[in-house]
Amino acid sequence: MKSDFSSPQRQSLVGVVVMFGDTLQSTLRSLWPFLLVWAFRINQMNRLYVVTVIGAALILTAVIAYLKFYNFTFFLDEENEEFVIRKGILNKSRIAIPLDKIQQVNINQSLIQKFIGVHSLEVDTAGSSKKEVTIKAITHDLALSLKERLLDSEKKNSENDEVAASRNTNKAYPFISISFASLLKTGITSNYARSFALLFAFVITVYQNIEDYFEGEGYENDPLDEYVNGEVLFKFAAFIAIAIIVLTLLVNLSRTILKYFGYTITLQNKSLLLSYGLLNTKNTIIRPEKVQIVAVGRNYFQKKMDIQDVRISQASNNDDAKEQQKEAIEIPGCSEVEKNELLTFLLGQVPEKGEGLKPNIRKIILNTVRFIIIPLALYFVFAIWFYNELFEYIIFLPLYLAFIISMIYFGYRNSRLYSTKDFIIKQSGAWDVDNEFLAPHKIQAVRLTQYFWQKKANLGAIKLYTAGGNLTFNVADYSRLKELANYWLYNVETTDKNWM
Amino acid sequence: MDNFINEPIDTSSLPRFEEVKLNPLKPAYYKVMLFNIAVRYLIIGIAGGCAFYFIEDITRYWYIALLLFVIALVFTLFISRISFKNKGYVFRTHDVIYRSGAIAISTVIVPYNRVQHVALHEGWLSRRLGLARVEIFTAGGDSSDVKIPGLDKEHAESIKQLLMGKVLNIQEQHEE
Repeated sequence: MKSDFSSPQRQSLVGVVVMFGDTLQSTLRSLWPFLLVWAFRINQMNRLYVVTVIGAALILTAVIAYLKFYNFTFFLDEENEEFVIRKGILNKSRIAIPLDKIQQVNINQSLIQKFIGVHSLEVDTAGSSKKEVTIKAITHDLALSLKERLLDSEKKNSENDEVAASRNTNKAYPFISISFASLLKTGITSNYARSFALLFAFVITVYQNIEDYFEGEGYENDPLDEYVNGEVLFKFAAFIAIAIIVLTLLVNLSRTILKYFGYTITLQNKSLLLSYGLLNTKNTIIRPEKVQIVAVGRNYFQKKMDIQDVRISQASNNDDAKEQQKEAIEIPGCSEVEKNELLTFLLGQVPEKGEGLKPNIRKIILNTVRFIIIPLALYFVFAIWFYNELFEYIIFLPLYLAFIISMIYFGYRNSRLYSTKDFIIKQSGAWDVDNEFLAPHKIQAVRLTQYFWQKKANLGAIKLYTAGGNLTFNVADYSRLKELANYWLYNVETTDKNWM
Repeated sequence: MDNFINEPIDTSSLPRFEEVKLNPLKPAYYKVMLFNIAVRYLIIGIAGGCAFYFIEDITRYWYIALLLFVIALVFTLFISRISFKNKGYVFRTHDVIYRSGAIAISTVIVPYNRVQHVALHEGWLSRRLGLARVEIFTAGGDSSDVKIPGLDKEHAESIKQLLMGKVLNIQEQHEE
């Protein structure tokens, strides 16, 4: 099916509903402090008045939504090879994107879009960090053919390219699909660290509230003491702990399923097409040449169940490391075989590890200072001189220490930097062990750092910058790091492979 | 294909970045550093002075604040001296090396074939002293960019030309 995009057209008419939803949402979001105040006073106000105001606001929103819809047009300017969008009610704007600047076209579907049967289409360009253009309501067929047309021009521009030749075979082949069972396994085995932190915070809050309650009620001698003996209290605590564990597991599980339900990966035009999500369906493309770092992560349980997460960082315009992390595409619950297929596709081969570089034992000392000595010193200083109440929390100290010490120890034990002929592999993590794979020609810059107290011990750190995130290795043999840096620089400077 | 050879690389004989002698910055640049410190401390000093003058509750602690202020200033001056001495750069055939830092000394190396663009920056005081800063940007994010200050204006200009030439050259090779 070939649709005509050469003349300006509007979105699907039902798109007004999506516009309405979006406008309403953004209005509510910007006005929520006022709304909250009104909500508290609602009883004191005139019913009629309230209903009129809400009604008027809804009608106004609907009108704005319709005008937004009416003024939003898009078309493909074949002559200038541009994709043009016009929008705006009072401030009109015209956005023209040269077709060869289009990096990616994503088709997504949110819950509201699912109800009315439309999709949204995002055009990602090489210009800025924001997704510049989003068409919010478009039928699936139209979205697909528009996407094809938008990405088509690339083929024209690089016709002599070998890649382009194979692009002409526009068929999609099923590659990998993540089964529901794998998602279940991932759900119950991931995010333990975060769950633990939540648990910890919850227990402290509950503890504090109970204390406050008894103090507030003014009981000098705890009246419950007669009923609550050690055993009952212990049982109660155990019950609460188990309940929280079950709850966090359930939350993790449902999150994973909601986010990744029906994860399918298909192969088309030498790129991977990903599609996933239960309520909000997401579609993205991964092109191997854009991939910078591939990370494979799993913990002890996941190892036993033969599942692992694959995270793919692509070249992005975003400078912020945290944003880059967020942008990374995650493929959960891959089996060993699937992981190897993915790695082969993305990196050309399954990287082998050789002999790894270990961090120095001083890394343990550094982390002990950072996560135990400094926090504890702060805690005691505050507790002794400022808030004596803080001493009530001292019973949580062993828990904190046990957690941190095991994190530091296992983190140290798992930390390795491997350098093979074609890859740099960094292994890290205490419970969730990650392996990050990076091909040397993706390196943008190398930074070596040494603190003055590390000079005598010949220790230092290395940081490798790529367009999709950085890779750091701390407190290791500095001469060896320098040697590696020289080798990787040699690789970058002699390669004819481009980083993107 | 007959003359295709693939000899193993002797990694120990690769050129070592750490053995290259770095060029120091122009001594005049230290004045710029001192000037920046002076401006910063003047602002803090005036703000603090006003606070101690107008807020009567804290007025009697003025000598503690002054002591801390002086210690911080002396420490900053000390650090800035070390930091100036540590700064150095060198342009090799295939990459640029820039070293900086006082407590932690870090060396950034950017290969020319990863440079996105090059810029020249002149500050207010730098221009008066005939200095300029060469800024070299990569796709690796803010902290991977190399900014070499304290270069003679003309020298900086020629460095920029040299780099642009290299970058363009590499890009053309890729296009072919």
